[in-house]
Amino acid sequence: MLNKSYKNSASLALLPAHGVPPSCANPAIKIADLTVAFGGVPVLHGVDLIVGKGEAVGVVGESGCGKSVTWRAVLDLLPRSAEVSGEAWLGDFDLVGARSSVLDRVRGGRIAMIFQDPAGALNPVHRIGAQIAEALRLHRGLTGPAARAETRRLLDQVGIADAASRVNAYPHELSGGQNQRVMIAIALAGRPELLVADEPTTALDATVQAQILLLLKKIQQDTGMALVMISHDLAAVAAICDRVCVMYAGRIVEAGSTHTLLTAPEHPYTRDLIGAIPPSCGPRIRLTAIAGAPPQRHLPPGCAYSPRCRDAVAACAVARPQARQVSAGHSVHCLKAAAER
Amino acid sequence: MTLLRLESVSRRFPVGSSILGSRKYLAAVDGVSLNVEAGQTTGIVGESGCGKSTTGRIALGLDSPDSGRVLFQGSLLPRIGSKEWRSQRRQMQLVFQDTLGALDRRMTVDALIAEPLEIHAVGDAASRRQRVWELLQAVGLGDDQHMLYPHQLSGGQRQRVVLARALAPKPSLLVCDEPVSALDVSVQAQIINLLVDLQRELGLGILFISHDLRIVRHVSDRIVVMYLGRVVEQGRADVIIDHPAHPYTQALVSAMPRLPGGFDQYVPLSGEPPSATDRPSGCPFNSRCPVAQDICRQSLPELLPLDSKREVACHRVRDR
Ligand SMILES: Nc1ncnc2c1ncn2[C@@H]1O[C@H](COP(=O)(O)OP(=O)(O)O)[C@@H](O)[C@H]1O
Ligand SMILES: Nc1ncnc2c1ncn2[C@@H]1O[C@H](COP(=O)(O)OP(=O)(O)O)[C@@H](O)[C@H]1O
Ligand code: SF4
Ligand code: SF4
Ligand SMILES: [Mg+2]
Ligand SMILES: [Mg+2]
Repeated sequence: MLNKSYKNSASLALLPAHGVPPSCANPAIKIADLTVAFGGVPVLHGVDLIVGKGEAVGVVGESGCGKSVTWRAVLDLLPRSAEVSGEAWLGDFDLVGARSSVLDRVRGGRIAMIFQDPAGALNPVHRIGAQIAEALRLHRGLTGPAARAETRRLLDQVGIADAASRVNAYPHELSGGQNQRVMIAIALAGRPELLVADEPTTALDATVQAQILLLLKKIQQDTGMALVMISHDLAAVAAICDRVCVMYAGRIVEAGSTHTLLTAPEHPYTRDLIGAIPPSCGPRIRLTAIAGAPPQRHLPPGCAYSPRCRDAVAACAVARPQARQVSAGHSVHCLKAAAER
Repeated sequence: MTLLRLESVSRRFPVGSSILGSRKYLAAVDGVSLNVEAGQTTGIVGESGCGKSTTGRIALGLDSPDSGRVLFQGSLLPRIGSKEWRSQRRQMQLVFQDTLGALDRRMTVDALIAEPLEIHAVGDAASRRQRVWELLQAVGLGDDQHMLYPHQLSGGQRQRVVLARALAPKPSLLVCDEPVSALDVSVQAQIINLLVDLQRELGLGILFISHDLRIVRHVSDRIVVMYLGRVVEQGRADVIIDHPAHPYTQALVSAMPRLPGGFDQYVPLSGEPPSATDRPSGCPFNSRCPVAQDICRQSLPELLPLDSKREVACHRVRDR
């Protein structure tokens, strides 16, 4: 594959101000116009997203909106059938189309990813200590006593009590929450600049979900690592992220600071996602039930949300809404949000 | 009117093999009492393995308790498998979490919804067809979906089929076991709204089981909080959530991500629920409880009224 690092970063100055934090001179990653298609059917239609160094960014949206595909494309974790184009700059490297030798160093090193099902991601026949040590050898060249000491430190950092004896446990001897902690330890082994957590707590119990989310937040703050947290649950994302991107049908439709998105959401989809979550206090109001489902293979003309949008007007089915800057760091793709001002 | 009543129901399961010495048991459900009023919802909340599903199965007569009794409309549940039990079963239906494969994949939506009517021999063929059509409408499945197979439906649509099948024999009680846990929040909202509407229309009593306190709060009139097979707190939903008294309920409430607010009220709770096989002696929560004292390791706290609105099982609930 061609190494595309000849592309110069000047083109990034032309990026639409979208999914961009207010001040982000020094991003952890810059994704520009990322598209993905499977067998000629596009599922990602040009995603622009910048994650600042040390920033926690949430990505929300219903199943099938392209949250996972975005990050799997960046890390080249999609099957060969996927056609990927666009850019994903990690410093001076464009990861899209980069040589696999480059990607091997990046994956698990500068960027790490954890998933919903930790038991499935861990190797069932190896002790967890050995699996962490292997990641340390691979990404940092640590072996012997140094690797053993670092393994124990990582287990401590992710809150596994009694690390000295736990290193000898097999994944099946641990609970789902503990396995997820082990996955986080493996992810941290390469001292990543960016950790992408894809629905990391969906399969966990309530008190354990809170523990894991707050652990991720603490590690992000303590180490200065950037965190991308993917979830269909806006409340879980908002609880630990500085900024939130809302995805719909393969695009980011609204992005802004968590506070802005929760208090002054502009996109009807963001408002509907908020309304769908049962409130945790106050009167029990009727939930917003978004009719239907996200488009499957083919997008409707105009705004992709128009068939489900309660605010849709005739024009919505004609032209695709362009990004509009509502305020610094807050952007939205909606014709009406744009027309109202 | 009390539709369903569980009185000190217990159920234990053998664990391991009995070859060496005496058989060990785990107490899946231990002395649970609760009520479901007609037209109202009682929610059961707690983390996995705390005995919610076992309680639900006992409530439906799908499993029998080792001790305690289950009363439906004031009379004891008939023996499992008896003729009376089968006719009673029409009155009480289970809505389970649909993971693909639970619905017969060779049957169309129509046939799946007609099946319980045929099993219970409801009406003649023509009236059954009419009833299937009504049920499709009631759960919001359109004309273009009734001939589809389960794998052609979305998760939300399959959950609607599960609901339609449960409603087919016109039950007065639904036991909903994690009915929306596998769904996206947006689809959860569709199904929850549907359930709330159907309850109002049909006057259903509902026993609603979930590990998600936000959803349980939203649908329930009364809430039962379980931990390792025991009820630790129960009472009026708003009181339990707004002023939880048991340390475990407090932890559960604080672990709900608030919108807005996030985890701003989070009370750190160490560890994870132990397995039911190694329940600590004394209070089952003592290994994780931030305020446990010696007495908590020695004796099991009883579920006692704290005020007129709820009952709590905690030695220290009055000192704090
Ligand atoms: N390997 C694949 N082959 C074909 N289509 C895929 C593949 N992976 C994902 N898709 C499709 O891409 C879209 C986005 O999927 P995904 O990113 O997984 O959504 P989510 O937002 O739930 O993470 C979906 O329509 C999905 O069906
Ligand atoms: N048929 C069974 N045989 C043995 N153990 C069981 C059986 N059913 C449930 N259990 C055990 O009983 C406890 C409670 O299970 P369950 O009622 O399914 O909990 P929940 O629904 O709250 O997750 C668990 O420890 C579980 O492993
Ligand atoms: S552009 Fe129109 S259809 Fe799309 S979200 Fe805005 S109002 Fe709704
Ligand atoms: S009885 Fe003791 S251990 Fe149990 S909840 Fe109360 S204070 Fe905690
Ligand atoms: Mg995904
Ligand atoms: Mg269960």
